[in-house]
Amino acid sequence: MEKNLFGFIWKYSAKQQIFIILVTVLTYPVVYFLLELPKLIVNDAVQGDNFPRTVVGFDFDQIPYLLLLCFTFLFLVVVSNGLKFYLNVYKGRLGERMLRRLRFELFQRVLRFRLPHFRKVSSGEIIPMITSEVEDVGGYIGEAFALPAYQGGMLIVQLGFIFMQDPLLGLAAVSSYPIQGYVIPLLQRRVVILSRMRVKNVRLIADKVGESITGVAEIHANDAAAWHSADISDRLYENFKIRYEIFNRKFLIKFLNNFMNQLTPFFFYLIGGYLVIEGNLSIGALLAVIAAYKDLAGPWKLLLSFYQMTADVSVKYQTVVENFDPPDIYDTERLTNDDTVVLDGDVKFESVNFSGGAAGQEVMDVSLTVPAGSACAIVGPDGSGRSEVLQLAAGLVSASTGKVSIGEHDLDKLTDATLGREIAYVGGAVHVWTGTIRDNLYYGLRHRPLVPPQREGEDLKNYKRRVSEAKLTMNPVYDLGALWEDFEAAGVDNERALDGKALELLKAVKIDNDIYRLGLQSRFDPSMDDGFADKILSVRNNLADRLAKEPALGGLVELWHRDRFNSSASLADNLFFAVPSDPEITMDEVPDLPEVKAFLSETGFDKKLQQIGLKIAETMLELFSNVSGDSGLLGAYSFITLDEIPDFERIVRVAKSEQQRPGLSEADQSRLLGLAFKLVPARHRLGVMDDDLKTEVVEARKRFLDGVVSNSDQFVAFDPDVYLPTLTIEDNLLFGRARVDRRDARRRIDDVIRAIVEETGLRHPIIYAGFGYHVGVAGSKLSAGQRRKIALVRGLLKNAKITILDDIATGMTEDDKELRNGLRATLAGKTFLYGTSNADIAAEFDQQFVFDQGRLSDKG
Amino acid sequence: MTLETEVEALRKVPLFHGIDETKLRLLAFISDRTEYPEGERLCSQGEEGDCAFIILSGDADVLVATPEGEKKVAQVSENSIVGEIAILCDVPRTATLVAANNMDVLTVSKDDFLKLLKEFPDISLEVMRTLALRLERTTRDLADARRGAGAG
Repeated sequence: MEKNLFGFIWKYSAKQQIFIILVTVLTYPVVYFLLELPKLIVNDAVQGDNFPRTVVGFDFDQIPYLLLLCFTFLFLVVVSNGLKFYLNVYKGRLGERMLRRLRFELFQRVLRFRLPHFRKVSSGEIIPMITSEVEDVGGYIGEAFALPAYQGGMLIVQLGFIFMQDPLLGLAAVSSYPIQGYVIPLLQRRVVILSRMRVKNVRLIADKVGESITGVAEIHANDAAAWHSADISDRLYENFKIRYEIFNRKFLIKFLNNFMNQLTPFFFYLIGGYLVIEGNLSIGALLAVIAAYKDLAGPWKLLLSFYQMTADVSVKYQTVVENFDPPDIYDTERLTNDDTVVLDGDVKFESVNFSGGAAGQEVMDVSLTVPAGSACAIVGPDGSGRSEVLQLAAGLVSASTGKVSIGEHDLDKLTDATLGREIAYVGGAVHVWTGTIRDNLYYGLRHRPLVPPQREGEDLKNYKRRVSEAKLTMNPVYDLGALWEDFEAAGVDNERALDGKALELLKAVKIDNDIYRLGLQSRFDPSMDDGFADKILSVRNNLADRLAKEPALGGLVELWHRDRFNSSASLADNLFFAVPSDPEITMDEVPDLPEVKAFLSETGFDKKLQQIGLKIAETMLELFSNVSGDSGLLGAYSFITLDEIPDFERIVRVAKSEQQRPGLSEADQSRLLGLAFKLVPARHRLGVMDDDLKTEVVEARKRFLDGVVSNSDQFVAFDPDVYLPTLTIEDNLLFGRARVDRRDARRRIDDVIRAIVEETGLRHPIIYAGFGYHVGVAGSKLSAGQRRKIALVRGLLKNAKITILDDIATGMTEDDKELRNGLRATLAGKTFLYGTSNADIAAEFDQQFVFDQGRLSDKG
Repeated sequence: MTLETEVEALRKVPLFHGIDETKLRLLAFISDRTEYPEGERLCSQGEEGDCAFIILSGDADVLVATPEGEKKVAQVSENSIVGEIAILCDVPRTATLVAANNMDVLTVSKDDFLKLLKEFPDISLEVMRTLALRLERTTRDLADARRGAGAG
């Protein structure tokens, strides 16, 4: 990678830079004429005589001449500004393209780092390098050659003019340049050093902030917040000191420049005045020189600030790029090559040595052979070299001496395309990507875009533009919208079959129940698959029949009924009797929708609900007034949290007071509304919902359904024959609420639902719906065990020739034992390396290699 | 039924005799109001007890397991509290409770009841007093029984 900024710019944008310079030069005559014309208009057209004038063979009288000159002026104004506009856009675009190229190159280099290199770099440092630190480079690139060329040209022209008037005066004009040329770089060098320090310090801050976020639980658990605060504060002070010093020097440079520029006229007046008095120079010439010198100051100042910017940007560029050039970086080829070789044959280590850089991460002189198609255990405690051996076998790290090969092929010479497809590796520390379970399961099959999507019209145009831009900036042209899943590699024909295969493996590793539960809890978009929604509706009907037939069960549920108040549901559910059609909108947000607000105020129901809310607030305050906050009673049972008590006390006081003013603010009113909406009459027996009110709610519900829901596609009404996308699949199966006043109603009804789901064969579709469950940031919504199993299925789904598992399912429980048997059965006939620290587990395998302190100590 | 009616019922439970109304309201609010149709079990002998039942209406049969199967030993009815032993000390349920007819019950969970005791010591005192009275009565009954046995 180019170590030097100018090298980088010239290598990738020489043509464009020359073009910019040419267009810039083109503006010279335009600008020149633009400056000359006003003089001509005033001196010749307005004040001149002896008309007509002859211009390119035409005669012009005074007025037409004035018109001609003025319109020429107008024309030149348009041309010069048009050129400037064009040039600015061109430079900006070039800068952005170069920046994109640079950033992508940096990211690709991160992917090319060898694994051990990541022990030395942290994401907290790398991220600001790729994002913010190179930002300035983009703005600079467009100016890199054009500015010095243009302003330098200007400077030379003006200087030439002065020298032509009088060489002595010319010398006076440039007298300060040598001093500036010496002193400023000297000062600037220090600024450059400081800038580097600053960049590194900011990186350290970013790293520390990142680390604090990752380890925030530790900070609280150890009361280490003070230490971290002090640490960051220290770094911030360091930053301040550096910045302050930079300011000082920058402004010193500015001061010197200004001072020198104003010192030069001193010489002009002294020397020029002397020359004029002596009669060696005309007064007109002196004035012309002084005017020319004023014009000189502009370009000179711009050149100096350009010099400062160059120094600044170059140092930033270098400070970034030097981190992306480790000597042992992989070839780009290793990432981008798409040719796969088939890895058949034995896994062979020939006197392999490896060092991970710390004690307990070494492998010493290991030679072994795992015959193709056998299942083999690699045994050894953590720090015995077991994990390193498995990583070496997966080609994730390279041997420092010796050779790891599979069949004929030396793993070190293979590309990712082969290693990542022919070998499935699941290590002890798995990573689950932010996304859905499906994304994570099929992650191991997404190597290249396989089937491009059909594009036409505007879409196709956009796509073509995307591709051409990518080509211009050396970015890859892989299509994110394409189908990436390699069905063939997984041994299936289509997506359905792949889902089926994934399900089979999920069952094998015993995580299907978890996914089923997630599926029940997940929402599902019926527009994706109508059949599934219909099946759910049929289960719903089935369930309703059963509830009707078996009173013992029926008593556990209160089904939705258009004409009945549901005491086990919240007041909001009861009043609206509909859900938003957009699953993104939760029930809590419904009262804030404009249609709903309008409806509430129209019917006067908002006042009524506020009264209910007020009554709830009053009762809560009364009930919990003597309860201390730390007893836990308040949080669990009250509608109101401890922090909210003073607020609600105020609201109740204001509402109760006889005075009209100040009255309740809108925010207060909506809080009271919020309280009322949360009320579940059967649970919160506050006596605020009498039968009349219930009838009123049902009446209002009908008006809401007729007035708002039927006219708006924003809502879907509760209807036994309609799937409600906002509710979870579970809530859709049961068209109602489990009664809160019956013991264990929820659990008992869930059992019934489960049984019906099993009977109707809906279990699998629900598991597939669970594939769409979003696992949170890096799988945070899954347990550690679930994450491992998902990663395991991801590895198995690759259907690779060689499967390497490290520290997976290493328990002695029956479950784990069964899981291991399942794994061996699934992987029968394939090469299977299994890492464990337990000798008893290893005994289950055909062959064992025992490691101790980096050496192979026993074979079996 | 609302909190007010529940408070009325709680007032009739001897255990809550001397406790003022706002606290009873709180107790009522934090308990679950549950209905039991005839024949449904409230709890089973031997299982972990995590709540006490205050019967608002209806009756429950108290069954004890014997070698010949479950045998009814008593009946509890309106305004009585049952299962409170389980929430004061960690012992398994000593008997099975089955609804003899449709019942209306307030269920107080162990955690909440203990929190309430901690929060309001006068309730603790009242509970202690009631338990002491019961102990005194049991002791006297035992003494009577022994004397009876000795005489016989």
